[in-house]
Amino acid sequence: MVRYGMVIDLNRCIGCRSCAVVCKMVNSVPTGTWWQRVETVGSKEHMVPTGEYPNLSEVFLPVPCMHCENPPCVKVCPVGATWKREDGLVLVDFERCIGCRYCLTACPYGVRQFNWQDADENIKQGFEVAGFEENWYKPSDYKYGYPIDHRTKDGRLVYTKTRPRGVVEKCTFCVQFVDQGIAPACVRGCPGNARVFGDLDDPNSEISKVLKDRSTFRLLEDLGTEPKVFYIPPARKEGRGGVNYEKKV
Amino acid sequence: MKRKFDLAIAVLAVLALIGIVAWIMQLQRGLILTNMRNPFTWGLYIAMWAFYVGTAAGGLVVSSAIYIFGVKQLKPIAPVASVTAFIFAVAAMLMALPDIGRPDRLLNLFIYPNFKSLILWDFIILSTYAILSAIYTFVLLRPKIAASGISIPFVGTVMKRDMTAEEIQRLEKESERRAKILAPIALPFAILIHTVTAWVLATQLSRPWWYGGLLAPTFIAAALTAGPAVVILASLIVYGYRKDLQDAYRLLAKVSAFSVVALLFMYYNDFFVRQWWDAGREFDTIMLVFRDYLAIHAVEIIFMLLGTFILATRYNSVGGLVAGSLAVNIGILAHRYLLIPPAYNIIPLRVPVVLGIESFEWSYPIAVGDIRGTLMNPQPVFTAYWNYVPSLIEIAITIGVFAIISLVLLGMLRALPVYPQGSQ
Repeated sequence: MVRYGMVIDLNRCIGCRSCAVVCKMVNSVPTGTWWQRVETVGSKEHMVPTGEYPNLSEVFLPVPCMHCENPPCVKVCPVGATWKREDGLVLVDFERCIGCRYCLTACPYGVRQFNWQDADENIKQGFEVAGFEENWYKPSDYKYGYPIDHRTKDGRLVYTKTRPRGVVEKCTFCVQFVDQGIAPACVRGCPGNARVFGDLDDPNSEISKVLKDRSTFRLLEDLGTEPKVFYIPPARKEGRGGVNYEKKV
Repeated sequence: MKRKFDLAIAVLAVLALIGIVAWIMQLQRGLILTNMRNPFTWGLYIAMWAFYVGTAAGGLVVSSAIYIFGVKQLKPIAPVASVTAFIFAVAAMLMALPDIGRPDRLLNLFIYPNFKSLILWDFIILSTYAILSAIYTFVLLRPKIAASGISIPFVGTVMKRDMTAEEIQRLEKESERRAKILAPIALPFAILIHTVTAWVLATQLSRPWWYGGLLAPTFIAAALTAGPAVVILASLIVYGYRKDLQDAYRLLAKVSAFSVVALLFMYYNDFFVRQWWDAGREFDTIMLVFRDYLAIHAVEIIFMLLGTFILATRYNSVGGLVAGSLAVNIGILAHRYLLIPPAYNIIPLRVPVVLGIESFEWSYPIAVGDIRGTLMNPQPVFTAYWNYVPSLIEIAITIGVFAIISLVLLGMLRALPVYPQGSQ
């Protein structure tokens, strides 16, 4: 059995948010909605260290959907619009979701996003807020994103460029690529090569080797959701900003 | 009296119309017209849904009490009680409707049901309860319907039959027998609607404000507070304050007043346990209540206590009953509203940050879902705190639902022959 998972090496993450942007481009994610977030841990603003000099910390934490083995969002969905596929991907059926948003309440990671209005309206609003003139953007014009609708083998719509209003969406591990044997966009787009994607059940896959060799942690492990996104903790840098251990007491 | 009634109907009709227009607007533009966003996904609608589930309680509990526990003094108001049970169970389902992003796909609940989901169970239990209450009302009123019919405006009186006194007596006996059979079937559902509604929220480990075994009992206590108070108000509208109903009113007032005490005990018991540890998510929910939602909390507590006091002491006067029932319901309403904000404003994904010897937990912000602000004054795209205040559309729809429900309730109470035995 294939069971997909991801490892993110926090030592390699430079906080550039390329993963978030490439995800948005490729998946045609509406303005204001983010499937992938990168924040500086402990800080109000991204890229601002937390703490007081010289005791500072600046750790960047990217958070995609965890594609949990025990996903609460799947259990709460009254119509089974979100489900865990055999290969471990947690997906949303755009044609079945009734928009009750129970899954947004259940998900402890805050990765689920709701289409509060038409995606075109969102984009128009974005241009307006950015100070562009009225009608600068026409909704009928070009739309960014992977151009072809994607359906799973049993015909469920899991990726579409034209987002229906009033349904929930989230990171799919780029199901439209994974089904073609290509890694998710965030894995390929990471300039620091911080991400490894692959089959957790195959002992010879790169991800299994990384998981065997490195110590990893998962987010909110105490909730029992068993996420399939693993993190390699950042090591403390030596030298400036680090701790100098005194030999004498 | 007739003019007052017509005026009330007119006002309610206007409010209902405004609500319907607001809902059409929301259907056209989407839920963006509400002030809910990704970090704060349920708001006023869900609070009102929980409130209406609570108010639906009184009816069947009252009716069941008569036939299961033999509380005979409640008998004259049983039909009114079961009518309110029916109408508020329907109100709860109606209230959840504008919260749904795709109401056009509601049939999916029947086509692809997921029996692990408690929302589905809540829907099943609520609709069963509504149907049972409707049947119960019909069974109770059957002899009277046969005697004087249902008067529907513009249609006239229907289902009236000419009968001998003997036949009426036979129907009455039959009604009594059937009610006795129905009551034990209906009572579990009367308890289940609150329990399952609470479980929808209480099963979510990611929301510490709800999670735990105590939510369902507090829901039942809240229901036993609001339900009888609603029955008091409804039967005061139908019958007015009469000598032969004194016992029934006194008993209902006492049940409501006692339930407030039980509710407050469980509520503050939970508060104490949560605050004692001085840290953690559970503790933070309490701090959030006292820091940001103190006004709502004050309304909730003051009105509940005031209502209890009035109901426990002034149950012998119309003014006391009305004031007490209203106060108790306002308190429960605030209690229900407070169900929502502390659940969402404690972000579940908190990452521990260790800085030397200090450490704290940091909430990972959530993407809002739209772009706000201006170029020079941008609002954050990711936020860990959402200051939710219901939008005008949300308020209009909520009031609209209330108006529609009140109209139907008043209409039913007028159409059905609900007056008690021995009076016309």
